[in-house]
Amino acid sequence: MAELIKSKEELEEAKIPYEEFCRKAFDPGNEWSKPEALKGIRWLSCTMYIFTPHSAANLAELGAEVIKIEIPRMGDAMRHTSPFNEAYLYPLHDTRPMTGTGFGFLGANVNELYLSMDYHIPEMRDVFYRLVEMSDGLTELYRPGTFDRWKMSYRTLQKINPRFIYVWGGGFGYGPKVFGGSYDILGQAHAGFASITGMHEHMGGHATKSTNWVIDWASGTLIAYGVLAAIHWRRKTGLGTMIEFSQVQTPTRFSGYSVPIYGRFGIVRQRWGNWDTQLCAHGIILCGKSDYPDAQNPQDKFDARYVMVSAFQDRDFQELCNITGQKPLFDKYKAHKDRVEALAQVEVYLALEKWAADKTRSQVVKAMTDAGILAYPVMNDREVYESPHYRERGTIRWMDDPLYGDILNMSGYSTGHLSKTPRKVSWIWRPVGADNVKIYRDMLGYPISKVEEWYAKAWI
Amino acid sequence: MPEKRDVEIKSRADTLNLITPEIRPWPVTPPPSPEEVMKVYAKRKAEEFGQWLEDNVRFEYGFGKAEALQGFKVLDIGLWRLGHKFASSLLGEAGAEVVAIEPPKGDPLRNLTPFGREEYMLADKETGEKCGLDFISDMVNKHSVTLDVETPDGQEVFKKLAKHADVVVDGMLPGYMDKLGIGYRQLKEINPRLVYCWVGLRGSWGPMKDRTSKFGQWEVEPFAQATNGYIASTGFPQDFLPRGKGGDPTRHGVWLADYIAGEQAAVNILASLYWRDQFSGEGQFLEMTSAEALMDIIDFDYAWYGFNASIKSRTGGWDPNLNQYEWNPCKDGYMMIGGQSDRLWYRIGMCIERDYPQFGRLIHEDPFLKEVGARNALHALIKTYTVTTRWLREINRVQAEEKLMDYEIAAGPILYIDEVCEFPHFKYRPWVNTCETDYGTVLYPTTPNCYQQRTPHRLKWMGRRLGKDNYEILRRWIGVSPSRVDELKGKGVI
Repeated sequence: MAELIKSKEELEEAKIPYEEFCRKAFDPGNEWSKPEALKGIRWLSCTMYIFTPHSAANLAELGAEVIKIEIPRMGDAMRHTSPFNEAYLYPLHDTRPMTGTGFGFLGANVNELYLSMDYHIPEMRDVFYRLVEMSDGLTELYRPGTFDRWKMSYRTLQKINPRFIYVWGGGFGYGPKVFGGSYDILGQAHAGFASITGMHEHMGGHATKSTNWVIDWASGTLIAYGVLAAIHWRRKTGLGTMIEFSQVQTPTRFSGYSVPIYGRFGIVRQRWGNWDTQLCAHGIILCGKSDYPDAQNPQDKFDARYVMVSAFQDRDFQELCNITGQKPLFDKYKAHKDRVEALAQVEVYLALEKWAADKTRSQVVKAMTDAGILAYPVMNDREVYESPHYRERGTIRWMDDPLYGDILNMSGYSTGHLSKTPRKVSWIWRPVGADNVKIYRDMLGYPISKVEEWYAKAWI
Repeated sequence: MPEKRDVEIKSRADTLNLITPEIRPWPVTPPPSPEEVMKVYAKRKAEEFGQWLEDNVRFEYGFGKAEALQGFKVLDIGLWRLGHKFASSLLGEAGAEVVAIEPPKGDPLRNLTPFGREEYMLADKETGEKCGLDFISDMVNKHSVTLDVETPDGQEVFKKLAKHADVVVDGMLPGYMDKLGIGYRQLKEINPRLVYCWVGLRGSWGPMKDRTSKFGQWEVEPFAQATNGYIASTGFPQDFLPRGKGGDPTRHGVWLADYIAGEQAAVNILASLYWRDQFSGEGQFLEMTSAEALMDIIDFDYAWYGFNASIKSRTGGWDPNLNQYEWNPCKDGYMMIGGQSDRLWYRIGMCIERDYPQFGRLIHEDPFLKEVGARNALHALIKTYTVTTRWLREINRVQAEEKLMDYEIAAGPILYIDEVCEFPHFKYRPWVNTCETDYGTVLYPTTPNCYQQRTPHRLKWMGRRLGKDNYEILRRWIGVSPSRVDELKGKGVI
């Protein structure tokens, strides 16, 4: 019966309100008292930009040891990007104190160890093989065949380490466009996202790009998923695998009914702006006045004017029509099937915008919320940062980076709460080659004189 | 395979008459042959590697291979949203046995169809029951079981199922399952190895946790995009297009944040299972929200606000971090061009200069634009893209692509969905494929994880008729006899 006797704490836990239980279970800010899920996994990241790095960073946040291998003295190309060329942290490398790493690099390489190596050099290949022998896997992004030419593809590496999990991440993969280069934006453009995002031509709009490199990030996550599944299989069989992953494919997988409706009916899905093709009312409306007319930042001053409003169920829609003085609209579109029709949607949202034309955003949100209808302001970065919700949940937080000091960080901690093995962020990044000695000498056993020689030759 | 046709596509106008029902079914033209592709490999002396690659990871060999998550059991319960559905679809694609539990009335998502058009829903071949395409395409490899968990009988069945499960994915409202006595707090007592993951919009706790309207309506995407900064910085600024006519913050076309939450939930679930199996033997409690999962990948935006109080603005089809890296209008659509390093920057310029010599004088010879970083300044973007679009506006997408490809630039047109499905490379792999489902043949996008040497992920079936697997699953998992299922059905529990 011993297992039936519960501690006082457990009994209490079963009684407290659910919300409090969650807060206690996830306990933001206390991540370091808990273990790491992927302890002991060692991953090599021969990557650049956002897509393939994010696959490895995902593992690093969960506790894997990730070694990022970069071009000596130059580093990942992404280190040289920053929004409007504004935000850099110094130095890039100890030979380049006046060059920094731009914020474009942020979030895609957290917690990693930074190694530099020029693997064109035949002498460095054996060093690379040593790393392969003591690691669980690798992600690389070079053009197909490049690593093979250098005898570093899975064809070679699986003989050195049969447990090795090898990921190639790129644009297209085998097939007629195998050598096609790719970026996030090419994925968005080429695989359907762009053609279904943005205002419709008749609304005066254009195909619209996501604000972030969404396909890079999302594809990186899918690689991490593939890797973890492969690790589970390896626990059973002891065998590694090769994963060939093309990012351009990801947006098509995320496009819902778009492909099936084309396949069956020949319907080519178009952009539908800020409204929803399947629900109405469920869209974003423009209000007449900004919430912060006197603010300095134009994003506050001019753009705090949009509300996401949702009342697609009959009673919600009826109430929405009531409080906005549109009773005839409800009479006309009592059934959801009727009001979700394209022309009905135009009528509904135009009527709502007309009603909101003399109101501020918060007046609109308040009127709807008071009536029990779902509405939220479209929040900008400042508002999200200041929101107590994300603050309490630990999603956005200031961190004290060991090298760069105060950083307002949102990656890692926002990627879900885990009650027993939470994600952690130790550092955002380190300079190019910062961990060379630690890895070449301490891990691989090369004498420091050798490491210095390589450094002088710019091989590392 | 359809007959090969001679179709020459020079502009969007040429593709429009290819989508009529007489010309389909997909594909309109056959994919390129392996021999043609081998010639491509030969261009870079990679025939041998290309052949090895295809021998090892080709899509067509997938079904002959093992499944990575074979043996894991997953219960999925939730309504309205795609986050929990996508998470369990991914687990199913990798080989886990997934049971999706719906109330006897079914998930309301089954009834959604674009613009309310019933004719675009698919009918079950046996019963004629209609189902929406979003539901069918986001319920991959899942068994369909109905259960009213609000009844004591239903709760008992759910508890028994959960005792055998490795994972529960919960897409219900905050605290709903807990209140019914079948949430993580209660289930961990009967199954301490259980990984329980709630997937929601903004949270099951906190000041802005998920809520419903006074009338019980759920909050669904794009509420997550609206409340995490994504929409505010996506779209065209009012300096580009008039406000209210395109120059507004813009939501993503799909319920994007749900997909992002789904994939990250699947990652966290597998990591938790690894920790359980490798180290502790214990399950745990997870929470994933759409707003936060998308916030995690919203580049550097919050750090930038912390750095100098910048609030990221909208830049339409441009990217504020790279030049060139954008799409702009051309004669029959939009053309995307990318290349930031000096090498690519000048190659793009040389290509454009061939037709439009002014480009060199205005762009290459501008001393300000010679430095990589400086080129990202806003006025530099405006100048570069204005002159680039001056070139693009005279030509179609196909011409622009051909010209840019001569210079090996990562460029490509914005493709419409029909063009995506017909893109030769996509057909060759294939990135869209057909599946014979309970609702007839459905064209679907394949999962990007299906190209693997040992354990490729795969789609076996798509959405199913409500409760199709009631008898089988309840028998196999918990030994409920068919007559008992009928009895529960009579009571409205199943």
